[in-house]
Amino acid sequence: MRRQNRARIFTIPLTIILLALMLFPFFVMISTMLKSGEDVYKSPPIWIPSHVEVQNFIKVWTQYDLASYFKTSIFIALGAMALNTLLCVPAAYAVSRLRFVGRKSALYLLLMIEMFSPVIVIISLFKIMTAAKLYDTLASLIIMDALFTVAFNTWMMNGYFKTIPKDIEEAALIDGCSRVQTITKIMIPIAVPGLVTVMIYSFIFAWNEFLFGLSFISSKNKMPLTIALYNFVGRWTTQWQYLCMAAFLALIPVLILFFFIEKRLVAGLAGGAVKG
Amino acid sequence: MANLAVVPLRKRLWNAEARLAYVLLAPTVIFLIAFMFYPIVYVFVMSLFRTNKLSQLTKFVGFKNYAERLTDPEFWGVLLRSLNWTVIAVVVKFLMGMLIAILLNMKFPGRKIARMLFIIPWASSVPISTLLWQWVYHPEFGLLNHTLKITGLWANPPMWLGRPTSAFIACIWVDIWAGIPFFALVFLAGMQAVPTELYESANMDGAGAGRRFFSITLAGLRELILITTLLSAIWTFNDFNVIYILTRGGPANATNILTTSVYMSAFVFLKFDSAAVQAVLTFAILTIVSVIYARFYFRKEND
Repeated sequence: MRRQNRARIFTIPLTIILLALMLFPFFVMISTMLKSGEDVYKSPPIWIPSHVEVQNFIKVWTQYDLASYFKTSIFIALGAMALNTLLCVPAAYAVSRLRFVGRKSALYLLLMIEMFSPVIVIISLFKIMTAAKLYDTLASLIIMDALFTVAFNTWMMNGYFKTIPKDIEEAALIDGCSRVQTITKIMIPIAVPGLVTVMIYSFIFAWNEFLFGLSFISSKNKMPLTIALYNFVGRWTTQWQYLCMAAFLALIPVLILFFFIEKRLVAGLAGGAVKG
Repeated sequence: MANLAVVPLRKRLWNAEARLAYVLLAPTVIFLIAFMFYPIVYVFVMSLFRTNKLSQLTKFVGFKNYAERLTDPEFWGVLLRSLNWTVIAVVVKFLMGMLIAILLNMKFPGRKIARMLFIIPWASSVPISTLLWQWVYHPEFGLLNHTLKITGLWANPPMWLGRPTSAFIACIWVDIWAGIPFFALVFLAGMQAVPTELYESANMDGAGAGRRFFSITLAGLRELILITTLLSAIWTFNDFNVIYILTRGGPANATNILTTSVYMSAFVFLKFDSAAVQAVLTFAILTIVSVIYARFYFRKEND
């Protein structure tokens, strides 16, 4: 018992040190976003701003038009979420409930797609998007963002549907419900927690996406937030206080959403070895 | 399943249930074919041709592009760096994730809050937090070097992104940093699923903390460790955002891995044939690892 107590003494300090390490860039973000331009470029740098520059918050909306990038990102993320849900819910129902030739292969394939790197197809996608007149459209991002979460989300929904007892559905079928009705009236309402998880997951994925935005979008008014912020660094290297403020604002929605699905996400990724 | 075999194939392929399944799967399959499978086939076709700067196929050359890549020392450098990148990053993520999971599995005041705070790097958007790191690493005005100096931890810290070795360390650290919480949370969830009676009886048997950790905790987590490590290895190998944003593969190629090399070859140097070859080889490597992952995953599902 003695040894265990001694180990406990180190627990809290060690946790604090590790937290300081893991949260370091966010401390820097908060310090910088409250600084004036003068404070940002002080040498040696300072942690505590000499005064809190509230103007930064106003400037990112007025001078740098953050609102339009927010709108674009929200539009893309909602679009990707809608398309993704429309694709993965029926697909998940099919693989979890229906017997058909190729069911096992479909599941296997989904798992493989989950591992897929967008970089592999980015060259040909660039050509395909151009040929399909989708280059520099938000539709290109909505489609790709939806597709890159479709495998994982179908897999997750498959897991949720499987936990619903078959009897409920069979009873409804006997009562004269059609298959499609059992999906919309029974399966989906019961699987709402799962549905919310996959919807949030596809929203977050689209919100954070970078490579497709970098490759398929050229007009400034169609840029998602991530790309806008990336370009912001290139052009105004001198104004990190605005970038940090914008980064802070862009992170808030995904942080909140992530905390809703974190437990289920862990369970899904660990493959049912742990229950969420 | 036994009676399935006597049903004729036509009936099995085309009954009411199967038909509904095909209809429900059709939208997903059509989208996947158009925007994933066709692009893979196309990139393979492209790798067999010479291309011009507009990415048009100009001349069929068979596997000549492959021969060129595979005899190019620069390509081997990139491939080796990709493997180094993956192995180093996954090992560090694993160890730090395990350490954090052990800490969070102890009972101390504030551990719920600590758990939430540890999630933040994972919950954050990687491109955005990478931009923050770029500022953190700033040689003159960045708070990292300043903090290292004033705390006396490192009097002469390097110009992180400016020099090859330190740039590699700086990039891989951001990838590691973003990947630690995933390991920590999955391991923590796994540890909490280990029945406490096991520890109690081990305690009575006089097993020390080390023995308890290795023979109960780690043994209980074996499958979880395998799956998370494979999954993380694939994600790490696929990482593009961190390197592209911080260094674009530089300085002097020091941070160029396969994913960044594919992108840079195509969209910066406009050598689409070379990029296609590298993409196909990346695909081959990923497929091998994914098959292993899928095997393990399915074996567990069927248990």
